[in-house]
Amino acid sequence: MNPKFILYFAWYYGFFVILRGPSYLVASLSLPLALLFIVTIFAHGSLVAISFAVAGGPIAIVAANSINGAADAAFFRIQIRIQDLYVATNITSQDYMFALSLSYLVFSLPGIVLYAVLGSYLKVFSVESALPIIGVLVLLTLTISNLSFIIAGLLKHIRNVWGITAILSIIMTVLPPTFYPYTDIPMNLIYVLSISPVTPAAVLVQGIVGKEPLLYSMLFILLIETVVLTLLGRKFIRWRE
Amino acid sequence: MIEIKGITKRYGKHLYALKGINASLKERVTTVIGRNGAGKTTLVRILSTQLLPTSGTATIEGYDIIKDTKKVRNLISSIPQESQLIGILSPLEQMQLYLMAKGFSAQQAKAESKEALDQLELYDFRNAPSDTLSGGMKRKVFVAMALAAKSPVIFLDEPTTGLDPLSRIEVWSAIKRLTSKIILTTHYMEEAQELSNEVVVIDQGNIMTHGTIQHLLSTFNGKMRAEKLDGEEYDIKIANVAIKYIEKDKVDEFISKGYDIKRINLDDIFLSKGVMLES
Ligand SMILES: Nc1ncnc2c1ncn2[C@@H]1O[C@H](COP(=O)(O)OP(=O)(O)OP(=O)(O)O)[C@@H](O)[C@H]1O
Ligand SMILES: [Mg+2]
Repeated sequence: MNPKFILYFAWYYGFFVILRGPSYLVASLSLPLALLFIVTIFAHGSLVAISFAVAGGPIAIVAANSINGAADAAFFRIQIRIQDLYVATNITSQDYMFALSLSYLVFSLPGIVLYAVLGSYLKVFSVESALPIIGVLVLLTLTISNLSFIIAGLLKHIRNVWGITAILSIIMTVLPPTFYPYTDIPMNLIYVLSISPVTPAAVLVQGIVGKEPLLYSMLFILLIETVVLTLLGRKFIRWRE
Repeated sequence: MIEIKGITKRYGKHLYALKGINASLKERVTTVIGRNGAGKTTLVRILSTQLLPTSGTATIEGYDIIKDTKKVRNLISSIPQESQLIGILSPLEQMQLYLMAKGFSAQQAKAESKEALDQLELYDFRNAPSDTLSGGMKRKVFVAMALAAKSPVIFLDEPTTGLDPLSRIEVWSAIKRLTSKIILTTHYMEEAQELSNEVVVIDQGNIMTHGTIQHLLSTFNGKMRAEKLDGEEYDIKIANVAIKYIEKDKVDEFISKGYDIKRINLDDIFLSKGVMLES
């Protein structure tokens, strides 16, 4: 492990990038904000409905930025071959993947802060819920980034990545109970939707903010997915070809 | 020292990019030359632990590239032919990250990066977004990474391709100042001649010739190169240019036949593909 490399990489490639290319930031915010708008209209301003859409916002942002990681990691591996440069250094593939994942999380920070402000104002988030939510967001970043590394490793041509990420971000962030109460759909369906790590993350956050019962089984699922996807990511990243 | 032991590399089912290569590279600077697709990059990537061989192995300073990967990675820096900079980050940031991945502290990485950028006349561009640099400047940033890392063994895959003559001289002088062992690939014969005394010529996945420049050129002792467009006498023909290797006392004869006479240089080892060495 090379934590210093990971932190510097995330700072440069996560934070500096925000200052230098804010359009991507807006892109990752556009979906949750648009859905928040629609929910507000449909629910005729019902605070209950709105607070669900607010609670799901940070999850959608983190998920979107981590899924975009598939395009990013594929670009690094296939197109600009930066991955190749790092293979012949002292860092491991795991360092490289942590560095990229953390940079996606840092990149999500402005959106998370925006929702934190909004959520505090609407009394959705509290000081006590902050830490557990951050924990869930970190796990979500890791799971989805690793899914992205798997996709990036499987791709032969960079051209294919754009379509895949577009499909995935819909399936993974809009279908799961990110923006609606998870008790509105049958429990069996929740378990099916748990294929996407966004589902356990969203269910957990709804429990943490006290809008719905806290389901500890979802923490278990999210942890398992983190471990499994991390191991698979390591296998598929094609570190030494 | 680098010992290459029977390395083969197969891509897909049938394409052998390397066909059982053996060599010991003993000199400080070794140049690998060969035509496009000869297998140079494949060899360099295998030696620098980026690519696994299909069979065979190699040792670098005694460490096996497959079994002692970690130790080998500790010893080497490798600049890939096809790597490009991350456009949104500056040269300094990327060099710093690379050096930190090589084990430098943040401060040390920054200081070494600045020095190397200065050496290659890139200091003024250190904070610019990399995508605003010219193609040659981007290439030099990668060379700067290798210089700054100061690893005992450095692989440079076509470090000077696309560089203007002055930049090339900057890179050469930087390479000469290093004490590391260097393996570099190039298409420029003068580069091989300028920098190294050991040359490996690869052709279609085989080592065609290997030796010191003096040794390789010695097979042409007393000879000159005569060339003429559409000439009738030739040892080899490239496009429509007839090339004949002649004894010095035949020079006048060939001039009268309309041939241009040239002195032998490394090009000839490459051009003749060993034809002269065998005959
Ligand atoms: N990833 C790959 N998949 C399939 N074939 C490959 C791959 N990389 C290289 N090759 C093939 O292997 C052979 C050697 O390629 P290599 O890149 O080693 O050549 P090179 O000597 O470096 O050429 P150049 O001077 O153009 O850089 C070529 O026939 C090439 O098509
Ligand atoms: Mg090459």
